[in-house]
Amino acid sequence: MSVLNIAEVTKTFSGGTNAVDRFSLDVAGGELVCLLGPSGSGKSTLLRMVGGFEQPTGGRITIDGEDVTHLPPERRPTGMVFQSHALWTHMNVFKNVAFGLRLRRMPAKQIREKVEAVLELVGLAGYGDRMTTQLSGGQQQRVALARSLVLEPKILLLDEPFASLDQHLRERLRDEVRDIQQRLGITTLFVTHGQDEALSMADRIVVIANGRAEQIGRPDAVYRDPKTPFVAGFIGLMNLIEGEVKNGHFIRSEFTTPLPIADGPATLAIRPEALDLTASNAPTARVHRVTDYGSHGLVDLDLADGTRLKSTVANLDLFQAGQGVGLLPRAVAAYRENQQIYRS
Amino acid sequence: MSEIVERAALPLAQTATSRRPIGLLLVAMPVLLVIWLVIWPAINAISRTVWRTDVNGNAGFDLSSYAFFFSDTYSLGNLAVTLWTTLVCAVLLLVISLPIALYLRFSRGRLPAYVQALAILPMFVPSIILAFAFIRVLGPNGMLDILLNALGLPKIRTPYLTPWGPVIGLVWDNTPLTVLILLSGLGGVANQAIEAARDVGANAIRVFWHIILPRISNSILVALSFSVLGIFSSFTLPYLLGPASPEMLGPFMQRTLRDVQDPIGAMTQAVVAFGFCILFGLFYVRSVARNRGNR
Ligand SMILES: Nc1ncnc2c1ncn2[C@@H]1O[C@H](COP(=O)(O)OP(=O)(O)OP(=O)(O)O)[C@@H](O)[C@H]1O
Ligand SMILES: [Mg+2]
Repeated sequence: MSVLNIAEVTKTFSGGTNAVDRFSLDVAGGELVCLLGPSGSGKSTLLRMVGGFEQPTGGRITIDGEDVTHLPPERRPTGMVFQSHALWTHMNVFKNVAFGLRLRRMPAKQIREKVEAVLELVGLAGYGDRMTTQLSGGQQQRVALARSLVLEPKILLLDEPFASLDQHLRERLRDEVRDIQQRLGITTLFVTHGQDEALSMADRIVVIANGRAEQIGRPDAVYRDPKTPFVAGFIGLMNLIEGEVKNGHFIRSEFTTPLPIADGPATLAIRPEALDLTASNAPTARVHRVTDYGSHGLVDLDLADGTRLKSTVANLDLFQAGQGVGLLPRAVAAYRENQQIYRS
Repeated sequence: MSEIVERAALPLAQTATSRRPIGLLLVAMPVLLVIWLVIWPAINAISRTVWRTDVNGNAGFDLSSYAFFFSDTYSLGNLAVTLWTTLVCAVLLLVISLPIALYLRFSRGRLPAYVQALAILPMFVPSIILAFAFIRVLGPNGMLDILLNALGLPKIRTPYLTPWGPVIGLVWDNTPLTVLILLSGLGGVANQAIEAARDVGANAIRVFWHIILPRISNSILVALSFSVLGIFSSFTLPYLLGPASPEMLGPFMQRTLRDVQDPIGAMTQAVVAFGFCILFGLFYVRSVARNRGNR
């Protein structure tokens, strides 16, 4: 059963920016959906429309079957966690979390119980009396999360909540949020421009570019089978090569590989881990640089016309800068006119 | 225990001060100026009003000028009208400036820029000009009367030369500074903090009361102390727009000094006014310190 339905939603700002363009999405109960896209792609705008902070200029948003498109934020069953600066610094942690319950005129005893339970849930038991300015960045975001969770919203909205935290803390918090989300079974929309975050947390990923959904799917599917060149280039490392197809062969500079599609221009996509390097008497590429990442090595290659490619290799010692190599793709996808037309 | 702390703290403090002679110099300048221009004349005035020479030439401690001030109904009436004017102005300033500041802070687009320019305009109009504009518009047979007359309506009872005259002038005069101070306070309230409040169910009034007001209470305090101190000791507007009796302390002092030629009486009035201003100041300092403590 879908809890959140976004139908053909559009947002054009007064300046003329088309931030979100006929965007549609169905989110099932208990699902965590990541909105993933580059800066300025309209992720925040979309989330803010679900929360009621921006008015769509077109389309409809329904939550549990109820049309909320024109409801103000205070009347929507949504809870939002902002990127930062959203705690009320004149209140301590307890009052921050209790504020929403107080507005609902809940008895004080019940408020105390609920707040303490939710602080425990986010790992801040006993922090109620602290002022928010005495907390670390990670703790502040936990308070913000607790403040939303305590009201038991139907939909939890998170807009890059960990963007201002360091890498380690970010990873820990994202695991914790995922745990809490699954334990409570709360429907969640999560905005990020970090693909790691999206791939590791999400039930489904929506890749957004220019206010449109480029692809919607499970993380592994989006990674393995990107449907547009944009998604292919955006998720994970990818070699995207523009070239021509002639007689069943893709050609770019000296590099050719069989590609059974009609003649014409095409974009070929090969993951670095699916591009093998071979010793060759007639090399098609030259090693530019070799980088050791510990667990694996990455070889940067140049085609004769300067096109830069990447290949993941297990044994670095076989390669050095300047060396000529042959290229042997194990799996490719091809795109034409922004559509996938072939996948091996 | 405290000895240890002191011994430990002393070298630190010494190096800190010796490293910052410029800082000390910067502080010393205003402190010396305040002593020279404010504290010394104040002490001087106070001593001259309480240490006086009687008709026989004997100097002695004498509170009679204060006894007179606080028993004379005319003086007390003037003090009362001064306090009343100050209080009414403070309330009106807040009631007028806060909505303007809120509007300027939270609306977008081109219109707020014009509103802001309009709200700040009175700052650039000298009090004298303002007073005469007031008289031409609101005075007897002023523009308003002419307008009402043309419409066949009865004349208004003009506020000119009533206690409301100075109130209107002073509120107009002090609005820009009050708006600017409140606006800077509102600048410290993050949009996301407000959106978060709406998100948990607070409507506009609740957001204002629970989120915005506590965050700008200091700015309100600063704005009000600035205007209250200025209004309490104002001269030009009450002199030009106010009634002859009761009059505010500013014109009262001037008249006592020039027309009545009673310097001791004038000084006594000044000391009383100074005392009230110090009271306001103390209240301000205490509130700010308490707010700081809460942070
Ligand atoms: N209030 C606004 N008025 C006008 N244009 C806006 C407004 N808010 C956002 N935009 C524009 O809408 C587009 C989408 O912005 P949005 O904030 O949704 O992007 P985003 O995907 O969240 O980016 P980021 O990852 O940097 O946060 C941008 O081009 C932005 O400039
Ligand atoms: Mg954003």
